[in-house]
Amino acid sequence: MTIHVESRKQALRYFYAKIVEPMGYKFSPDNELVEFILEQEVNSEGKYGIPFCPCQPIRHNRGHDMKIVCPCIPFHRKHFDAMRRCWCGLFVQQDVTDPDSLPQLSAKEMGIE
Amino acid sequence: MSESFFQAIRTSEIAPGGIRAIEINGRQLIICNAGGKFYALSGRCGHMNAPLERGTLDGTILTCPLHCAQFDIRNGEVLSGPVPMNFTSEGEISSPQTRYLGKVAELTERIHTESIATFGVKVEDGWILVAL
Repeated sequence: MTIHVESRKQALRYFYAKIVEPMGYKFSPDNELVEFILEQEVNSEGKYGIPFCPCQPIRHNRGHDMKIVCPCIPFHRKHFDAMRRCWCGLFVQQDVTDPDSLPQLSAKEMGIE
Repeated sequence: MSESFFQAIRTSEIAPGGIRAIEINGRQLIICNAGGKFYALSGRCGHMNAPLERGTLDGTILTCPLHCAQFDIRNGEVLSGPVPMNFTSEGEISSPQTRYLGKVAELTERIHTESIATFGVKVEDGWILVAL
């Protein structure tokens, strides 16, 4: 199987936008970051068949791993809403224009857990 | 060999987002309507030959009904392979069914997913014509 990475990245953009926009998120304005993360997700699909978040560990435990399938916002909603971005920064809340200003802190550090 | 256009179906017979199976000269094809633009492709998945008319069309992305391999209907390019069947937790209880599915998964992982053939399309007098 030869998957054309650029085509698959476009397909992921298409599907993800439909999921995250109703939740109040959008792709980060940092397009270079978005392109890089999507490429890692295409690689993840090639390896596992699933576009896991490239910034979180795969533990080979279904209960855990299904919660890091991109876009994983619904599984970490309180945490991500507090940061106004998802963990890896692929998605930010729709009013965000400067993604670099947003903190990347664990749920514990944010006082959510 | 020059290609000829064959009448497939009327444009009114396929709604936007729809997929219709047709057979022309013994070839199983599908016609897709992506927002009013028509595409003709081979009717069988490039993974395990599943009938693609039973799949789903989202924009120009066609998803196979059997293992969810995805294709771009504009050029037939494979966008993603089948979803994994054996993604189970460590320590999960094994049963004859899960062992069987594990065996099937092991076999299907060896199958390459190929891009699917596309065919030229034109519309004349309300008919979708396919080039073969």
